[in-house]
Amino acid sequence: MALFSVSQTAFLLAFLSLRTYQSEGLSEPLPWAPESLKVSVNTTCQCLHLQWTVHNLAHHQEFRMVFQIEISRIKTSNVIWVENYTTTVKWNQVLHWSWESKLPLECAKHFIRMRSAVDAAKTPGPRVWSSWSSWEEADVQNSLGQDPLFIFPKDKLVEEGSNVTICYVSKSHQNNISCYLEGVRMQGEQLDPNVSVFNLNHVAFIRETGTNIYCKPGQGDGIKGTVLFVSKVLQEPKDFSCETQDFMTLNCTWDPGSDTGLLKQLSQSYTLFESFSGKKTLCKPKSWCLWQVAPESQDMYNFTLTAENYLRKRSVHLLFNLTHRVHPMAPFNILFKNVSATSATMTWKVHSIGKYYTLLCQVELYGEGKVTQHNVSVKVDGAHLFSGLEPDTEYLAQVRCANGDYFWKWSEWTHQNFTTAEAAPSEAPDVWRNVKTVQGRCVVTLFWKPLSKPQAHGKILFYNIVIEYLDRTSVSEVLSIPAPASGTELPLNQCSSQIRITASNSVGTSPASVLVVSREPGNEEVEEERVKGTEDGFPLSWNPQPRHVTGYLVEWCEQPRDPPCDLQWKNLGPNVTSTVVSSDAFRPGVRYNFRIYGISTERVPYLLARKTGYSQELAPSDNPQVVMTNLTSHSFTLSWKNYSTESQTSFIQGYHVYLKSKAGRCHSGSEKAVLSDDVVCCKYKIDNPEQKTFVVENLQPESFYEFLVTPYTSVGEGPHDAFAKVTTPDEYSPTLIRILLPTVFCILLIMITCYLKSQWMKEKCYPDIPDPYKSSVLSLIKSKENPHLTIMNIKDCVPDSIEVLNKQEGTRKSLTETESTKPTYLYLLPTEKRYSSPGPCICFENFTYNQAASDSASCGHVPVPPKAPPSQLGLLTSPENLLKALEKNYMNSLGEIPAGETSLNYVSQLASPMSGDMSNLPTNPPEPALCSEYKMQMAIPLGLASPPSSGSSSLSSITLLDEGEHYH
Amino acid sequence: MRAQLMWRTLPSLVLGLLFLSTPVMGSCLDKDQELLRQLQKQADIMQRTSMLLNPYIQSQGLDKDGLKEHCRERPGTFPSKEALQRLSRQELLRALNTMLDHVLHRLMALQQDIPKAQDLETVNRAKQNIRGFKNNIHCMAQLLPGSSERTEPPPIGPGTSPSPTPTPDTFQRRLEGCRFLHGYHRFMHSVGQVFREWAESPSRSRRHSPRRGLWKGARRVPLSRGNKRLLLRGQLPR
Repeated sequence: MALFSVSQTAFLLAFLSLRTYQSEGLSEPLPWAPESLKVSVNTTCQCLHLQWTVHNLAHHQEFRMVFQIEISRIKTSNVIWVENYTTTVKWNQVLHWSWESKLPLECAKHFIRMRSAVDAAKTPGPRVWSSWSSWEEADVQNSLGQDPLFIFPKDKLVEEGSNVTICYVSKSHQNNISCYLEGVRMQGEQLDPNVSVFNLNHVAFIRETGTNIYCKPGQGDGIKGTVLFVSKVLQEPKDFSCETQDFMTLNCTWDPGSDTGLLKQLSQSYTLFESFSGKKTLCKPKSWCLWQVAPESQDMYNFTLTAENYLRKRSVHLLFNLTHRVHPMAPFNILFKNVSATSATMTWKVHSIGKYYTLLCQVELYGEGKVTQHNVSVKVDGAHLFSGLEPDTEYLAQVRCANGDYFWKWSEWTHQNFTTAEAAPSEAPDVWRNVKTVQGRCVVTLFWKPLSKPQAHGKILFYNIVIEYLDRTSVSEVLSIPAPASGTELPLNQCSSQIRITASNSVGTSPASVLVVSREPGNEEVEEERVKGTEDGFPLSWNPQPRHVTGYLVEWCEQPRDPPCDLQWKNLGPNVTSTVVSSDAFRPGVRYNFRIYGISTERVPYLLARKTGYSQELAPSDNPQVVMTNLTSHSFTLSWKNYSTESQTSFIQGYHVYLKSKAGRCHSGSEKAVLSDDVVCCKYKIDNPEQKTFVVENLQPESFYEFLVTPYTSVGEGPHDAFAKVTTPDEYSPTLIRILLPTVFCILLIMITCYLKSQWMKEKCYPDIPDPYKSSVLSLIKSKENPHLTIMNIKDCVPDSIEVLNKQEGTRKSLTETESTKPTYLYLLPTEKRYSSPGPCICFENFTYNQAASDSASCGHVPVPPKAPPSQLGLLTSPENLLKALEKNYMNSLGEIPAGETSLNYVSQLASPMSGDMSNLPTNPPEPALCSEYKMQMAIPLGLASPPSSGSSSLSSITLLDEGEHYH
Repeated sequence: MRAQLMWRTLPSLVLGLLFLSTPVMGSCLDKDQELLRQLQKQADIMQRTSMLLNPYIQSQGLDKDGLKEHCRERPGTFPSKEALQRLSRQELLRALNTMLDHVLHRLMALQQDIPKAQDLETVNRAKQNIRGFKNNIHCMAQLLPGSSERTEPPPIGPGTSPSPTPTPDTFQRRLEGCRFLHGYHRFMHSVGQVFREWAESPSRSRRHSPRRGLWKGARRVPLSRGNKRLLLRGQLPR
């Protein structure tokens, strides 16, 4: 203290003397000017390091002085930095000052000078400076070497986001040097003819190995470059914490944050310093460090964790009492003792943390979806009794501990499983039955639900069934069904019986379920009601029963479409009159039937109600298979009797019959409807779902129709596809059929009759020997020519000649023409026997005798042999030929004449007609009597049957035709 | 990335299998032709740039246009193929041994600049390959006549001193390393070719005379195409 007072006094004296000196002569230089200024360059940190002294200081003399430093770049006049450096100067002291250049020092010359002044901050008045020192030059370029190109700075380490200045120095005076950063060309500015500078702002981290920056001249291979190591910003360690498990070591941990992303040698390091003990340790891991606890009892620790790299240093501090940072190790050796159906004792051990410390242990028990928690104080070993456990249940028990005196952290959990012992089942099995009669005998099918785990209290081994017949006439039966059966079928000796069912495990038997089977059937005539399902299930309700019931039961099938239907039931209390039946098995579009039973006090179930419904109704997916009958021209009948309304996806409310027609008119009873494809049709509505026939009427004959029958429900109707097609028949076709059929029948009848009476008909209509009296020709002649003509009696005729009819070629004559015909008569009788006067004669032609003559369709025709030309007829005129031919034909006329061989017609004996034609004969044959020729009995058209001009025209009705010539 | 790793791993696996039959533990194959085939295969694998050069270029950021063109072997770092062909077999094996020692030394230096463990593993595998190759060289030298004669490594031209002066700055060191690895792969390619020539002219392996003189003489005489083939088959007149 005394020394300080002395020095202060000396300083004041010196300062006063200095002020006096300054006031006396300002022109004199300050005696404590900086001297021996030396400038050195550190290229690693791009620093200018200044070193100087202050002379004329007395021993033990100290001054607070200010040194003003000026730094110029390239030339002295270009001052880039001025700084006042204040320090306490002692005798013979070498002073230092450093300055870091943003521009690499190799890029330009730097000049430094300084002056000094006594720091008289407490003294008013202007500061008195010494004179400037001479300029000191810092020129690194001279020592670069002979390479033509340099880039600076070398291997600079910067933080991400900082600004960096790069330069190149060219000694080859090339101007076309280009520089790149990671392959991207940089634009710089010329500092002097040989130096260019590039300013990089906010440099980014690219890779751990640094960012490559390189320059190369336009010609040659002289590439030069540098690597800029960009570090991510070093982060302050977070969550710095220390704790002990055994009072031997402290484990200190922290979160180092994101990595700086640099090479290992450039990465940050962590050191741990404890101020009370003064110890320090270098932590090799980046996130934790171990600290040895002093053997002597040091309770308080003050740690400083320092993260440091080349650019930055970050520190965090932690002060704590060791006993407050105890983190016990996890308990071990967990055991369970005295495990019964409802209780168990758990024991465990803990790692000791000293005999003066008590551990607080937390015990948790998981089981049956529940968690229970207990706290236990422990010195060395712990124990805890679990009670109220469920039989045959697996539990998980776990324990963890902490310092009981000062809680810091729980240890890790240690856990172990155990299972309680079994007990007898606590509940009777839930049982239901289905009774049916097979061959007059009652058969009961029993169903039961497996006991739940809390009810079974162990593994169910079998089910016992005891059947007691109520009329006591039969002996009781006992059955045992092994688990896991859920039902059995029992034929009963008598229907009236009581069935008791129990479940057994290895420990005991459950209470019994009792069912009574009655001989009387249930009330099956209960009317079925509809129920609408919801998302929650089927809401069912029923009327409370006047008589006493022990409960109600709802029964349904979960798979009504697939037998067995998976019978389900639900027991309800006696005061319940509604419930909601829900099941995951319920599907939309499936009809479920529910039966509600009341259980009497005698355990007899009786049916109370029947419900049916859908959990969700769906529109019908199919239409009925329709059969069309009774098709008429105005109507047809549709029928779909096989369509079941019970097995549909919703309640069928009725049917729609759609009818498409070209007319587009809808009659009464139908309405127009527009289908989805914009087709207009008529719609008939059937409100009764059980009406499965429909007559479509008022149709047009011979018209095309399409029809569709689809069911409709509350959620829609069936699909509108697959219209059936029909065309109505003609309106008159049935009438025609009604007329034609009898007509055809009558004709057939007549034909059959004629066939059967053909002989009679033949005799009546066309006998083999014609009856001239029946000839129409006769009547014709009678009426028009000669009313006196009569039929010659055959007895009166003497056959004496054959009339040969000759026909002149090329002539065609009508039946009434006579001139062209020149009959030739061949007298069969001797001349002397001829009649002296020819009498009238009628010539009959009978085709029955000569088919060939018939084919020639002419009477009196002399058929020519097939190969004989017509000119050969003339040969017949000679007597010999005629005789031959006559002989032949005559013989044939007595017998059968073969077809094709006839050359002459036979003319039967005729009465000789009056005729003058005989004079025309070229020869002198005996004159035949004038004959009336009998032709084939046929109706002569009126046009052709013109009356003859003379009575001799009887022969003119005969025309001789060539073969192949016909009249038209 | 996985495929790339496989391509790097697969050759090493093959090499490892090859080394199983090599005298890693001091025992050598006594069949020179089989040993020669192994050396060829090893050289073929070691010449692949995917084994060393490509991962290095990628890790150091040299895979940029205008930069990777400078990753070419500096003349004189490694001996040329012609220089290797001029050597006798004993001399070649000795020269190879020496060169590979230099390579090992250089690889260890390069490892300092490789931060990623994956890339470090690549370098370590390459070093193992080289050591195995050196073992086989040793065995091959044992099989050659006159192997007991200990001679100095022969002068093999400008590539006799492959270790360049270490450059202080990282960029130049990085570029030099890249060039060195490029030269290494080229060198191993030449070695493989020389070994192949050995296999094609088995009779020459029996010769005990210095090969240098023969090669020099042969090269002095301009040969026709047919004579060149004869020369390659070792049928040149003495």
